[in-house]
Amino acid sequence: MGSDAFEITINCIKLILVFLLMVQAVPVLVWLERRGSGFIQNRFGPNRVGPLGLMQLLADAVKFLTKEEFSPKAATKLLFYAAPVFALIPGTLGFAAIPMGSPLHWGNYVFPIQGYDVGVGIVFILGVSSLGAYTILMAGWGSGNKYALMGALRASAQTISYELALGLSIVGIIMMYGSFNLSEMIHAQQGTMVFHAFGNTISTSWLPNWGIFYQPLAAIIFFSAAFAESNRLPFDLAEGEAELVAGFHTEYGGFKMLLFFIGEYGHMMVASGLMVTFFFGGYNIPWTTTEQVYQWALGLMDSSDGASALTSLVHFLSYMIKLGFFLWIFIWVRWTLPRFRYDQLMDLGWKTMLPWALANTIVSAIVIFAVSYSW
Amino acid sequence: MPLGGVIFITVFVSIFGCLCLYLGRTFGGKKPQDNVKLSAYECGIPSQEKKETRVSVKFYLTAILFILFDIEIIFMYPWATSFKDLTAAGLGAYALIAMMIFIAIFIFGLFWEIKSKALEWD
Amino acid sequence: MTADSFLFWMLAAVTLCSGLAVVVISNPIYSALCLAMSMVGVSALFATLGAYFIAGVQMIVYAGAVLVLFVMVLMLFDLKTELVTFSRGKISGLLKIATVGVLAGFLAGAFSMTIEFAEKTGAATTVPTPDTSKALGTLLFTKYILGFETLGILLLVIAIGVVGLARSKGGTHAKH
Repeated sequence: MGSDAFEITINCIKLILVFLLMVQAVPVLVWLERRGSGFIQNRFGPNRVGPLGLMQLLADAVKFLTKEEFSPKAATKLLFYAAPVFALIPGTLGFAAIPMGSPLHWGNYVFPIQGYDVGVGIVFILGVSSLGAYTILMAGWGSGNKYALMGALRASAQTISYELALGLSIVGIIMMYGSFNLSEMIHAQQGTMVFHAFGNTISTSWLPNWGIFYQPLAAIIFFSAAFAESNRLPFDLAEGEAELVAGFHTEYGGFKMLLFFIGEYGHMMVASGLMVTFFFGGYNIPWTTTEQVYQWALGLMDSSDGASALTSLVHFLSYMIKLGFFLWIFIWVRWTLPRFRYDQLMDLGWKTMLPWALANTIVSAIVIFAVSYSW
Repeated sequence: MPLGGVIFITVFVSIFGCLCLYLGRTFGGKKPQDNVKLSAYECGIPSQEKKETRVSVKFYLTAILFILFDIEIIFMYPWATSFKDLTAAGLGAYALIAMMIFIAIFIFGLFWEIKSKALEWD
Repeated sequence: MTADSFLFWMLAAVTLCSGLAVVVISNPIYSALCLAMSMVGVSALFATLGAYFIAGVQMIVYAGAVLVLFVMVLMLFDLKTELVTFSRGKISGLLKIATVGVLAGFLAGAFSMTIEFAEKTGAATTVPTPDTSKALGTLLFTKYILGFETLGILLLVIAIGVVGLARSKGGTHAKH
């Protein structure tokens, strides 16, 4: 975690800040979701409390806090209470592993602008987010309610089915960058598009060097599978209210419900963050490299420490804008598309997305081999 | 090593979650409880049966098939990271063919499942 | 005690305690959850050794797939009757005592051997390895290629067998 007390302290504070960032984004996203739904469906949304209904966030928090706290008689108390706490963990651990800005060089220290730099970033994130199924199962069974149990069963079957397409769609990406490390992937996507084929170097000046131009199919499959992974519409079969009331969180209310909310939005943020990292250049500003931004910052600041801090800040903002864009797409899709039927959902996962992801892997492998082979 | 950080944030988040539950309990207050309120949620009529105990075997089948395909996908990861290196070392054709055989077995399995209607939901 | 060895002992304690809880706790659901916990502990132990990829795989395959299946299956049984069948009665009591005895013997043996070994060789030095996954991939496709392809066929056979079993008529739960 660091070599001396100062570095360890800073790293711990950084981790807490990343977590608080995630928690604080939730009320904003909830507000955006309600205003956005109003905007999309031609109605008002919250507009009474404060300017633009912004104070609604505060009112919601107070409401969550003052709800009566109780558990049904049929519930298994330990699991019933453990599930919402556990719901926070996968999202937080995954989100902390995604780089949010270029590393900050301060004196002799180097601080990565992310929770922690795991060498095998993507494998770690996949592993951690696969633990999300336990939360759902614990909540569903612990509630002692048949709707909750059915919802949990559906939700977990759905998450694991789409995990296959998700895992397979990034094989092409890993192959292209030759690494599991997210920082290395971002590093490879700097500047304008340059690629090496058949011994020649082809470069364009009008396209950023983003992963989506090399792996468009993988991007589509990854993003749709991410929707299913985070149980969002059009894949929110777990909460089909006409049949299952509210799915695995039927019996939850108040702060317990809020923790589930944070968990769900955490999943969304991890998915958006990965989307940005794999396909849209990570924290980089389009068409520029980290080095160019650093040189620009050096012109403004007189010390190299300050320039590095400014570079990190600019990249952090760039990352946040990209992240916000994908979070908005999550909301946009939710209020545009209707819900799938369960058999359609399973068919889409197993019979459409999995074969296409396989085809993508095969084609990528052959192309990468053909392009880099010395004929 | 990032492991210390991972453990730190896990513990921190757990404490945060417990604190939230505690806050909810403190501020929520306690109102009179009765049997109807404490019973499992139903749509307005008394529950007809206990928790659902008989569930379609499809769910288990999906889970087991998921494990198998997941293992196959995991085996593609180390190949994917080292594929460019292997190509540079002149072993590219060899690695490509080796993986294509593996993927062919994968595809055969997948299409067999689809053909045998194991993935059919009704 | 250095930070690394503290981490190791803590993780080892978590892994062993949750492993013990799997056999001691009588409610199967808690047992399965404890087993998942112990798998996460093993994965963290791999990470302390620098085998990050194996740690991730342990997490994805064991904690994220195999044990999810266990928990899913257990949650759909009527656990009350199973509990009575398996945890009451003289024979199961005797079995329990015998199991505890054998386990205690194994544990004592393992501990004494570990301590003896550690005294002989001194503390193990862990060399941080940067990225073992590439080396793993290269080895898998050069030296162990036959085993790798055989594994593909094995998985295929399992997949076919599973479907065959699930679709077979008869057995104790068949509808007549």
